[in-house]
Amino acid sequence: MTAHQTPNALSVRASREAAAVTARSLTKRYGDVVAVDDLSFSLRTGTVTGFLGPNGAGKTTTLRLLLGLAEPTSGEALVFGARFRELERPADRVGAVLESNDFHPARSGRDHLRALAVAADLAPARVEGVLEVVGLGAAARRPARTYSLGMRQRLGLAGALLGEPELLILDEPANGLDPAGMHWLRRFLRGFAAAGGTVLVSSHGLAELAQTVDELVIIDRGRLVATGALDALTAGGQSLEDVYLELTGGAS
Amino acid sequence: MTAELRAELLKQRTTRTNIGLVAAMAALVLTAVLMHGLLLPADDLADADDQLQIVFGWGEVLGALFAALLGAMTFTGEFRYGTIRPTLIVTPRRDRLVAAKLLAGVLIGSAFGLLAGGLSAVTASAALTARGIDIEIQASDYAVLVLGSAGAAALWAAIGVGLGAAIRNQVPVLVGICAWLLFLESALIGDANLVGDLGRYTPGSLGRAATGQEPLVAPGAALILLALYAAATATGGWLSMTRRDVD
Repeated sequence: MTAHQTPNALSVRASREAAAVTARSLTKRYGDVVAVDDLSFSLRTGTVTGFLGPNGAGKTTTLRLLLGLAEPTSGEALVFGARFRELERPADRVGAVLESNDFHPARSGRDHLRALAVAADLAPARVEGVLEVVGLGAAARRPARTYSLGMRQRLGLAGALLGEPELLILDEPANGLDPAGMHWLRRFLRGFAAAGGTVLVSSHGLAELAQTVDELVIIDRGRLVATGALDALTAGGQSLEDVYLELTGGAS
Repeated sequence: MTAELRAELLKQRTTRTNIGLVAAMAALVLTAVLMHGLLLPADDLADADDQLQIVFGWGEVLGALFAALLGAMTFTGEFRYGTIRPTLIVTPRRDRLVAAKLLAGVLIGSAFGLLAGGLSAVTASAALTARGIDIEIQASDYAVLVLGSAGAAALWAAIGVGLGAAIRNQVPVLVGICAWLLFLESALIGDANLVGDLGRYTPGSLGRAATGQEPLVAPGAALILLALYAAATATGGWLSMTRRDVD
């Protein structure tokens, strides 16, 4: 990946209001299956929080509940103290990417972003701004079907950044990124938080996360198994991987 | 609401789907009108009703069909390609999204109907004139034909939007619309005649009535009744979108 602007170029506004994210006794059932089970946690503003758990632990379901794509069976999923659907101008406050492939294959990267910007009532200049931030300016006219996985990740991130949000919610954003892309993403997320933004990022890349996050929320089978500062959870000299495997029963 | 509508119209302009739909619709209108206008015996095309129903009416039929497909794809395309997720993240108020897609569908659907109805009128007139067959329909009939096609296609687009929002899966929705308009409805009210006089109030029949092809249902009444079908399917789509989770 080529050099890009740092997120300091974005005007990230710190929220002086409620916690950026609050899950309170959050539960989601699908018939007999409990995908998220009485989950409670909150995020401090200005931090990068890693959201960890084995496959099927309920991470993506939790993110969908936070973003109003699914309704909780019980409990609350709040962003800035409100249900996501009740936010005024949500793109100004929250940017999110849940899948790396959420594009019409025939639509160009620029047109994909234009449609989102128009729907969010944002200035057209924001499209060029975020394309520059993620380094996709040269490929912006190409149909999204011609993009590599790493380029799709960056296009998704560009969409999330359109409204200059205070909170980023990213599901596996490092998938498909090359080492330079991972390095760029790490610097970007750190810079975003340093500028007052808040990040919730799910990932299976524990070594990468250990270099990126301040806080951790670890879930297993829908339930919270640990939350706290990375430094505190690894205070015994264990690696994040050791801690994670021990907490989720994956240690052999 | 304006922002959401502008975004929907922009989405429609930024893929080639609509160009493909318009091209396919125009090609089918030309084919159907020319085949019936040029190949059927002149005796079968002697009076105004026959000319309207057998030759001129294809614009309405195909305009409504393609408008319904377009309307359905405004939602099923979003689900098929996953764009529904970023769409709902910037527009989490789903009732506004449904309203924007309905409006966009109605606007583009009416343009489809206008084009199909106009093309059908011009082509049918040319075909009959070329064969020396007197054109029995009047200037006012032309106006009803073209404007009725636009109205019917607009409402069929709304029906498509509602079905797409309710069912979400593209293949069954598109196949279902084609099957209903091209086969099932004509089977119900045609030879099988399973619904008797109610056949003139099925949605496809009302579309044809909107262009003056049904003597017992006036075009205005047909559009009002077709609007009730559109309102019912749109309500179903709105209920589905506001109450069901999105994966």
